[in-house]
Amino acid sequence: MTIQDLIMNLNQYWAAQGCYLAQSYDVEVGAGTMTPDTFFRVLDRRPWKVAYVQPSRRPTDGRFGENPHRVQKHFQYQVIIKPSPDNIQQLYLESLTDLGIKLTEHDLRFDEDNWESPTIGAWGVGWQVLLDGLEITQFTYFQQAGGLETFPVPVEITYGLERLEMFLEGKDDIYDLQWSQDVTYRDLRFREEKEFSRYNFHQADIKLLQRAFGMHTKEAQHLIDRDLLLPAYDVCLKCSHLFNLLDSRGAVSVTERVNMIAQIRDLVTQVARNYVAAEDPA
Amino acid sequence: MEFLLEIKAEEMPPSHIEEGLIRLKEGLVAELQANGLVDADGGFGSIRTYGTCRRLIVVGELVAKQLDREEVISGPPRSAAFSADGKPTGAAIGFARAHGIRVEDLQVIASARGEYVGFKKMVSGKTAPDILKSVLPALISKLSFPKMMRWGELNFRFSRPIKSILCLCDGLPLSFEVAGIQAAAYTSGHPLFAPGKIQVDSFRQYRIDLRKHKVIIDREARKNRIQKLMQKKLEPMGAECYPDEQLLDKLTMDVEYPHVFLGDFPETYLTLPLEVLSTAMKMGQNLFSVVKGRKQMPMFLGVADGCDDSRSLVRKGNERVLKARLEDARFFWDLDLQIPLKERAGELERVVFQEKLGSYADKAARLRKLAAYLADRVGALSEKTLVMEAAELCKVDLLTEMVREFPSLQGIAGGLYARREGYPAGTWKAIYEHYRPVTLDDSIPTTLNGAILSICDKLDTVVGTLGLGVEVTGSKDPFGLRRNAQGVCMVILDTKLDFSFPRLLDRVIKLYGGVLDVSRPDLRARCLKFFRGRLQYIFERMGFRYDLVNAALESGLLNFRHVFLRLKALDGFKDSPHFEAMILTAKRVNNILKGYPSHRVNVELFRDKEERELYTMFEIIRDNIQPLIARGDYAKAQRIVFRIRSCVDNFFDRVMVMTDDRRLRRNRLALLQSVSRLLARIADYSQVVIQG
Repeated sequence: MTIQDLIMNLNQYWAAQGCYLAQSYDVEVGAGTMTPDTFFRVLDRRPWKVAYVQPSRRPTDGRFGENPHRVQKHFQYQVIIKPSPDNIQQLYLESLTDLGIKLTEHDLRFDEDNWESPTIGAWGVGWQVLLDGLEITQFTYFQQAGGLETFPVPVEITYGLERLEMFLEGKDDIYDLQWSQDVTYRDLRFREEKEFSRYNFHQADIKLLQRAFGMHTKEAQHLIDRDLLLPAYDVCLKCSHLFNLLDSRGAVSVTERVNMIAQIRDLVTQVARNYVAAEDPA
Repeated sequence: MEFLLEIKAEEMPPSHIEEGLIRLKEGLVAELQANGLVDADGGFGSIRTYGTCRRLIVVGELVAKQLDREEVISGPPRSAAFSADGKPTGAAIGFARAHGIRVEDLQVIASARGEYVGFKKMVSGKTAPDILKSVLPALISKLSFPKMMRWGELNFRFSRPIKSILCLCDGLPLSFEVAGIQAAAYTSGHPLFAPGKIQVDSFRQYRIDLRKHKVIIDREARKNRIQKLMQKKLEPMGAECYPDEQLLDKLTMDVEYPHVFLGDFPETYLTLPLEVLSTAMKMGQNLFSVVKGRKQMPMFLGVADGCDDSRSLVRKGNERVLKARLEDARFFWDLDLQIPLKERAGELERVVFQEKLGSYADKAARLRKLAAYLADRVGALSEKTLVMEAAELCKVDLLTEMVREFPSLQGIAGGLYARREGYPAGTWKAIYEHYRPVTLDDSIPTTLNGAILSICDKLDTVVGTLGLGVEVTGSKDPFGLRRNAQGVCMVILDTKLDFSFPRLLDRVIKLYGGVLDVSRPDLRARCLKFFRGRLQYIFERMGFRYDLVNAALESGLLNFRHVFLRLKALDGFKDSPHFEAMILTAKRVNNILKGYPSHRVNVELFRDKEERELYTMFEIIRDNIQPLIARGDYAKAQRIVFRIRSCVDNFFDRVMVMTDDRRLRRNRLALLQSVSRLLARIADYSQVVIQG
């Protein structure tokens, strides 16, 4: 099974469960959780079911294409269902069986792992799912998002596509994975990893990033004040990515880290609050 | 009556299971007592708990119903119930009819308000199922866990979503509802291997059927099974599992039906130190290291849930993941070694220790001076330069890739790099050990330098943070100050280091210079109070009586080891017949002195024989205990001090302290003040509570 088979398989499975299949979002994010299809939709009280692939950028994870497991951009398969169904674990297990994994021949474990994203004021309770010791999924019941209690409670299932594919293909090197019959992960991503690692760690202009961070936080506030919440949120995502780049350049001291995260969280929390006030007038 | 309750949930963390079972049992016992579900002896039967990551189980032999009791129903007064000729009146007839009894059955009941007519009836007690049905929903809803969650559309909090509830009383299902789930007589086995419904009618059958369906509910049985299976794998090779009780306990809870697998990793990774290897195996993958003799083997042990791995897929999968992790670890190890610790130390300036307290470079500079001071105090002269070097380097590993990846290796990684770079044991071991003890049950540094550095590092953190005005309250301790302070106490008590704690404290405060917000005298007082509280906690946890702990602590925190020795002296003497008498005498002395300024004794002013005798005795004892206290022999010192009792008692019996002559009165008070100070050198006896 190739990566695209894997994606098609998951698409088919979750579409059959009633999920709308979203397309990847076009702003850099660190995780699928941060895209509007998750962020905004978990805030209000309406039911929501969505599944999508989201490229996720984590500049500090770059390894110049030299590490067989770590990359500065990877692909997540994100499922959000609100309210969390009673049989969600069962549904998840079936999605694995559907990929041809015989669960009784393996060791599948739900290992406590409570997820938290301080930048978007979100946290949840759940597990990392280990399959023969390999972390293939993050499984989370969202308790808070944008600093607000979630109700009904959404469940988030985030599959690490490369991890899962390495398991399915039995390969040790991420670059040896088959994206399709003819195209490997190396063909698609190796050069990108090398160049972006150099950019993330050595070439990104610190001064420029710092200035851009300041300008974007101002812009976000400007947009919030005019009740343009979706554009404001996009700008917050940009701030978050700028922060990650500065971090990979080693240009963030511990104190600055706390301050910058607090700045982004403050903006995101305002967006969330105003959004809920408009969507769910109490 | 057999009671069985099983709450099935999605996978709960081990700490939640333990906590949940304790609370469940406590809650049940409390309800049984509150509802009078006790037998004639006041017992409520037996209650046991079992648990897995998916089940909280309570089983017990309970009293089947409340005891029947007699109830008195009283009606009209006797005078109104019968006419003068003894015939029942309308009132009596009406009352009897209303309660459905015959008039002849009415009795005269005497009460404090006079005589009434009425009757007694037996009320049968409620049955256990009836009571349990009504109390269980609230009991389950109120269970608290270290971290609670909500799910679905429920306004309900629990450890993880509840899947089903099984509840039986003598085999019959009890009907109630919690979190939208109806209790029933069903359970199910392992979710992957035996997900089907299992009908349950007794605990015996429940336990046996679950076992058949790949669930062992008894945690000791699971633990034994894991250990036995491990042994079976390793014995033929003469190897052993490197013990890790914490990991074993976690896995015992994480699985319902354990299987053990043995895997290999390439020998080339054996160049990594044991600590790094075992951390890489444990973190994330929950694998045990394998050793032969004291040598690490290129193998690991893992525990799988339910799967016997007959096709070796679990083993191979874990081998692949571990290889990748070890590859990472080796990459970090090699990368870190490229920059010597000394060279890296300069970068500590960029790492903030705490916003207002400066960088780790500042901390290292303070630690260097502090370690030198403490080394002098405890007579570690030959090691002094080594511990100073360790102080300078002990935080450098925060900058290494290894610690960034495996934070639990902080200190250890630094120590290993220092050893690799050829630093002497007095330096690298001190770095290696200086975070210990991490918890109250963790081991203490094994070397003197490790102990010195551990004390200095933790004390520096506590003083600095309290110096910023941070308050530690019941639930709030964001900087882990309690843990740090307890660490200091434990190291001092365990290593028997002998030095003045307040002076070390002054030194730390001084080294911070002007960066602290709290004034020096105030901070000193706050720190002493904080450490007093930590010592109290540690001593009470060791099982000492709280009042003895107070008595030992109240005579001062000059030297922690001496506080402990004083406490032991008190504890050793507490059952002696003389103890109580001495306490009463000491309390009498202290009570009479309350509120008086201190004076000096003038022997010229003694008038009575008892005054002179007491003073002579005081002088003899004072001189005798001096050397004993100096070397910490408080047990003996206390025995000697207690000899003063008869003189004090005689003094009180024969001498008028509160005489009208002001000078004599003052002198007598002064004499008692001397006695009081003498007693206080052992303990503040007024803190001791006389029992009964």
